This record gives sequence, C-alpha cells and structure tokens, in this order.
Amino acid sequence: MNHRPFEDWMLDDTDLTPEQKLELQAHLRVCAQCAALTDVNLVLREARVISPAAGFTARFHVRLTAQRQAQRKRMVWGFLILVISGVSILSWFAWPLLRVVLDSPVEALSTWLSYLLSLWFWLQAVGEAGAVLLRVIPTFVPPYFWPLAALAFIGWSLLWALSIWRFAKIPQGV
Amino acid sequence: MNDEMAWIVQAQRGSDEAFTVLVEAYQTPVYNLCYRMLGEPEAAEDAAQETFLKVYQNLARYDRERSFATWLLSIAAHYCIDRLRRRRFVSFSIDEDEDTPLELPDRSAPDPETETERRQEQAHLHQLLQSLDPTDRAALVLRYWNDCSEIEIAQALTLTVPAVKSRLHRARRALAKVWEEETPSAHTERMPHESPAF
Repeated sequence: MNHRPFEDWMLDDTDLTPEQKLELQAHLRVCAQCAALTDVNLVLREARVISPAAGFTARFHVRLTAQRQAQRKRMVWGFLILVISGVSILSWFAWPLLRVVLDSPVEALSTWLSYLLSLWFWLQAVGEAGAVLLRVIPTFVPPYFWPLAALAFIGWSLLWALSIWRFAKIPQGV
Repeated sequence: MNDEMAWIVQAQRGSDEAFTVLVEAYQTPVYNLCYRMLGEPEAAEDAAQETFLKVYQNLARYDRERSFATWLLSIAAHYCIDRLRRRRFVSFSIDEDEDTPLELPDRSAPDPETETERRQEQAHLHQLLQSLDPTDRAALVLRYWNDCSEIEIAQALTLTVPAVKSRLHRARRALAKVWEEETPSAHTERMPHESPAF
C-alpha cells in the first residue's frame, strides 16, 4: 500500500486542510500501519509529565553538601600527598650533599664560600660588560629604531592577548 | 533581564538560594526526562540529582545567550544517554511496580473506563520507549514532553536539524510498528473517535 503523502503529513506534523483531513481519515480506515502511527502520535501528545517525589530540593542539598565534603577531603589528601612526595624527592636529591656536609662540615663550608665569591665576581664582570655595551650601542642604532621596536612589541602583545582570548573562549555543554 | 536570568546571575555569583530557586523551577522537566529515558523512578531520581550537581559545578560555563532550559535538558539527556550506554548489557524490568510514580486518575476525564484505558496506553508507551535507541528516545522525549523545537533538540543533543528530524521520524515509525504488532485491535477500536491530532 502506498503511504505517501499520509505518512509524511503525520511525521512532519503538517497542518492539514479539511480536504486533506478527509483523505487522511479515509486512508486510516484501511491502513493499519498509518493508523498505528496516528495512535502513537496521539498517545505521545497525551502523555503526562511525571514529577519527582516531594522533597527533591532538600535531597539535592543533602547530596550537594556530601559532595562538597568529599571534594574538601580529596583536596586535603591531594595537598598532603603533594607535600610528602615533594619532600621525599628533595631529600632523595639532597642526600649526597647532606652526607658531604655531615662528613666534613668545615671543608664543605669553605667550598661553598669560594663558589659564592667566584659567582659574585663573575656577576660583577658581566654587569660592567653590560654597562659598556649600553654606552656604546646607542651610537650605532638609528633613532627611528626605538619607536619601531615599541610598535612591534605592542603588536606582538596584542596578537598574544587575542590568541589567548580565542583559545580560552568558554565552550558550551558539559 | 527577566526573573530567571536574575536567578542565574545570582547563582553564578555563588548564591545557593538562587540555585535552589532554579532547582525548584526545573525539577519536574528534568525528572520527567530522566524517567522517560531510564524507565525507573530510582534511576530517574539519581540522574536528575546528578544533573543538577553537574549544572551547579558548571554554572560558570553557561552562556547567557543560550536558553537555560535547553542547556539544562542537554546535560540531563547526555547524562542519561551515557548511563544507558554503560548499562546496555544489564537488562531490567520496566513493568510497573510499587515504586513506580503514580499517574493519578484525571478527575476531568469523562469516565473511569476511558481513564483506565488511557493509563494502560501510557504504561504501554512507556514500555515501548525503552526499546528505542537512547538518542532517538531523548529526541522524542524532548519533542513531546518538553515541547522543544527541532532546533532546540539539535542544540541539546549536539546533532544537526536534519539528523533530529530523521531520528524523530525513525523513532515514531519504530514505535508505531511495535504498537501495531502488540495492539492489533487498537486500530479498529480507535477509529470511531478520530485522532484530534489531525
């Protein structure tokens, strides 16, 4: 049996003219398949909305409180595990150094002091070299370089901010 | 800004009282969706509660340009679909039992016999719904119980509008097929009073 266009009318919820309604009713009298579709459509339209048992909101608050407590507990445990593992890793790495210090403290102290002094001298030398360079470089750089450099810096900053904004745009749905 | 949006904004700022108002307002549509999807009152209660918890946790991510109801129902529908997929190997009975929420008799119904017949049909429909693919079922529930448009269903289920249309057609055809097989006498009995739907 040809169900066109009756099936389409029913599935698309088409608004029918009086003539189309009569045609459809005549078809439904002889077509069990389309009549079943009508029945289902009717039952679906008449279906009632079921409400939850009373006290739904109160039960939600109980669940929310329990979840918050569990979350807090997880955070405390997470922090403890992080601290313990951090301290353990640091101790593991520092152990050889600690052994040296414990075995001969004076020798370790003098080594560190000489190391700190050499670092201090090295930093002083770098500082002096930098000061000389800063005095010399401006004589070689043309004056228009500085505004250009400032513009380039602003442009890069804007591009960076824009890309961060695009990537951080909040997606919908969970 | 309407009342609902004002509550949403307050809830986003951390007001539990405002969120409670939203739960009160949407508990029935969310519960009904979960019940029609999962077929059991306990599972529906659990799913509805979990939906509101997810909404509470993700409220900051809600885009105020979108409909809140669609966003909420989308979370509920996805949760139920996931749950159905996880338990696809576990069969369950959806026969009405003592725990099933009661659909109270309609006092405005013309006579008790018609009302009983209607309730039987509803129970039968509820049973038939469980035979559908979870996404098709969600589309059907959103269409008929939540009066969502095809565009809203598409947004809620992350589908295209033609896909929603096709799923709705397929679901109704499948229901009609089983309906025809299981209630062969329904056609001849129903015909005298024609469907008000057309």
